[in-house]
Amino acid sequence: MDSDSINTTPSPSANNCKDFSRKKRRSAKLKQCKLDARREQWLSQSAVKNKGCCKEGTNGGDLKQRAQGQTDCLLENLEISRRGEANRGRETGLVKHESDSESLPSNSPMNSILLEGTGSGTSFTNSSSSSSSTSSGGCCSGSITEEEGDDGCLDDWEAVADALAADDDKREMERNNNNRENPFLGSTPEHEQNPQLGLKGEGSDLRNAKLECPRMVQRVTGSSRAWRADDAFRPQSLPNLSKQRSFPNTDRHFGQRGVPWMRSSPFTVPSSCPICYEDLDFTDSSFFPCLCGFRLCLFCHKRILEEDGRCPGCRKQYEQDPVEAEASIQEGSLTFRLARSSSMFARS
Amino acid sequence: MATVNNYHQGNTQVATTGTKPAAPTAKTVDSKSVLKRLQSELMSLMMSGDPGISAFPEEDNIFCWKGTITGSKDTVFEGTEYRLSLAFSNDYPFKPPKVKFETGCFHPNVDNYGNICLDILQDKWSSAYDVRTILLSIQSLLGEPNISSPLNTQAAQLWSNQEEYRKWVEKLYKSPNA
Repeated sequence: MDSDSINTTPSPSANNCKDFSRKKRRSAKLKQCKLDARREQWLSQSAVKNKGCCKEGTNGGDLKQRAQGQTDCLLENLEISRRGEANRGRETGLVKHESDSESLPSNSPMNSILLEGTGSGTSFTNSSSSSSSTSSGGCCSGSITEEEGDDGCLDDWEAVADALAADDDKREMERNNNNRENPFLGSTPEHEQNPQLGLKGEGSDLRNAKLECPRMVQRVTGSSRAWRADDAFRPQSLPNLSKQRSFPNTDRHFGQRGVPWMRSSPFTVPSSCPICYEDLDFTDSSFFPCLCGFRLCLFCHKRILEEDGRCPGCRKQYEQDPVEAEASIQEGSLTFRLARSSSMFARS
Repeated sequence: MATVNNYHQGNTQVATTGTKPAAPTAKTVDSKSVLKRLQSELMSLMMSGDPGISAFPEEDNIFCWKGTITGSKDTVFEGTEYRLSLAFSNDYPFKPPKVKFETGCFHPNVDNYGNICLDILQDKWSSAYDVRTILLSIQSLLGEPNISSPLNTQAAQLWSNQEEYRKWVEKLYKSPNA
């Protein structure tokens, strides 16, 4: 199908004109870049009220506030740019999600596990579909979307989320974000982070499932709809899912491709970066820089790229071109970029 | 006896190079993350309780560690214990630490100053290695030297004669108490 062409498009579109000049600057100032990346992580962390708050609370809060000040214009920008992207994403991703979850729920044990997992993970959200796929924005625009409380359709969700136990801040916030972002975030590639986030702490079963095939999780959980049919923000151009259900499930191979190396990899998903021993945040935990399965935080990855650029796990040169590893790397880097660009908005 | 002196020189060298990385030349962010990594390593090293290896930072400088390895069983180094120094830079773990034998070690890949010729401490270094894997690697290097590129040619020549080699190891291990 058109999966390849479409799937590769998001990254260019994500950082189209806005990131352009920024990119140049980036190459000039790698250091600055690193800081930016870190800052983004803070941003998203604070937005999702990650535990990171205590660690870098001041910073995150700061940024968040700034971001809030800029919300209005940000929202506009993001919505526009994202929407196009989301549309595209939906055309490919969503359809496939649909077929994934619907056409072969029992084909692969994986799938069924994952489905179960997501089901339980999102049971409190009425539409299980939205919870996982939505929070994609959590990382890139969490702080931004958080402010748009005026979104009428989401009020219920907020109330529900508020009522939930405060001890599970993380999950709760994620849900909130999901709801709010649902309308216009569609299925940005980053949504892979969500499953992990959402499933976190859901019990060992889920966790295992997640570990074995995060990619599958996202695919499957990302299914259903990120947009509700009655959603006011639903783009007109969004294809009708029912039409496309008959499409061959081209995306499946993506999901499954992720599995083998994750499984066979001697490096199971670490909770902290094996290089710097810092906790992996959401962005990091969806970052698969090398086919060998060795994972590390974006920070250390960047640092290594500045030097010999070889994977610490297998000593092979990192693929410089994110397109090669398609889903995994591409999504990782895309996340990165989106996050960046949103910070740029916040600053300007 | 000459070797003894050499080792002492080596020690002082190590000491000076060891303190250098701790100097505030590097950015604080870097040294902070190195600090965190080293502290975590220390924790896991102490928890792991690997037999035959140990390491601990010097008194007030976590960038400078002293390690010990014992000769593996069924090797000519069985029953011997070697002290090493590990000096970490602010680039650690992206750059390997400088590791040296402080105890004299009669080994094809260890020179008279205690310098070690081990690929993972040089070009084959990976930031995924840590103190534990370094020490384990050196420990296994003891029993499996790389004869083809020796630093100590005498040891390399003698390696084929394990019985004789063992005598040398014992002799040198006992006489220079570094």
